[in-house]
Amino acid sequence: MPKVTRWFIKAGMLYFLLGVILAFISELPLLNTGALLLPVYWHMLVIGWLTQIIMGVSIWMFPRKWRDKKKRESVLCLLTFWLLNAGLILRFFAEPFIPFFRDYLAIQFVIIISALFQVAAISTYIAEIWPRVQPRNRKTPASA
Amino acid sequence: MMPKPSIWMLRLALVYLLISVSVGGLLLIQKTVNLHPMLWSLLPIHFELAIWGWLVQFVMGTAYWMFPRFLKGPKRGNEKFAIISVVSFNAGLLFLMAGYFTEVHSSLRLSSRFLMLFGVTLFVAVMWNRVLSYRQVPHEHS
Repeated sequence: MPKVTRWFIKAGMLYFLLGVILAFISELPLLNTGALLLPVYWHMLVIGWLTQIIMGVSIWMFPRKWRDKKKRESVLCLLTFWLLNAGLILRFFAEPFIPFFRDYLAIQFVIIISALFQVAAISTYIAEIWPRVQPRNRKTPASA
Repeated sequence: MMPKPSIWMLRLALVYLLISVSVGGLLLIQKTVNLHPMLWSLLPIHFELAIWGWLVQFVMGTAYWMFPRFLKGPKRGNEKFAIISVVSFNAGLLFLMAGYFTEVHSSLRLSSRFLMLFGVTLFVAVMWNRVLSYRQVPHEHS
């Protein structure tokens, strides 16, 4: 299993755990957070857990475009991991405070950076995995 | 070798993921900076594409490719059914998106859900017999 896949799966499991903990906390009568934490734990489960597990496993299992016997991670895989997780962490710390600090420049900046990081991460993941979704390994300069 | 229905499903899933996350990014920014008040009407598209277009379809595409293959006859069962399943599911998803922007909302949504149901039913029918162990039923698959 490549190193970056292990990172994706372990980060995914942490988000899974955190998401379920947050769902539990939001139901506590004394800490009734209402809809405040709802988008946070939904995104923890769908992006942090499910999407990240899919990304990690697909990077591991899908046929590689370039035949690299050492199975090194490409720059795109590493970028995907760091951009996605930086974007998610910024989001999860900032989003619950939006209703209280909506007009503050700092929170606006963090949210915009978070959104851009997440979109960038998906773009780098697609750039990595798209050429690997093909009928069979076409001859490439590296494999020829 | 990755079969055509899987390639279509996986590539469409990637396209839907990009659209869904881009819309989600805009909605996130909209929470702090007022880009356009109408952006919130895109919320159902954000989650329908994330769940059905991305997660469900990516899993379907990978399962069709990787599940055990038959040793006799077509390796992955009836490929025509699989292709019809992909077309029906995605037509349903596109109609569902269109339904959010038109006045014939409810009837379009109903027909879109039916197309998705038909696509998933065909997919289950194609995949059902591939959920097996070669050890358990050697007489059927050797």
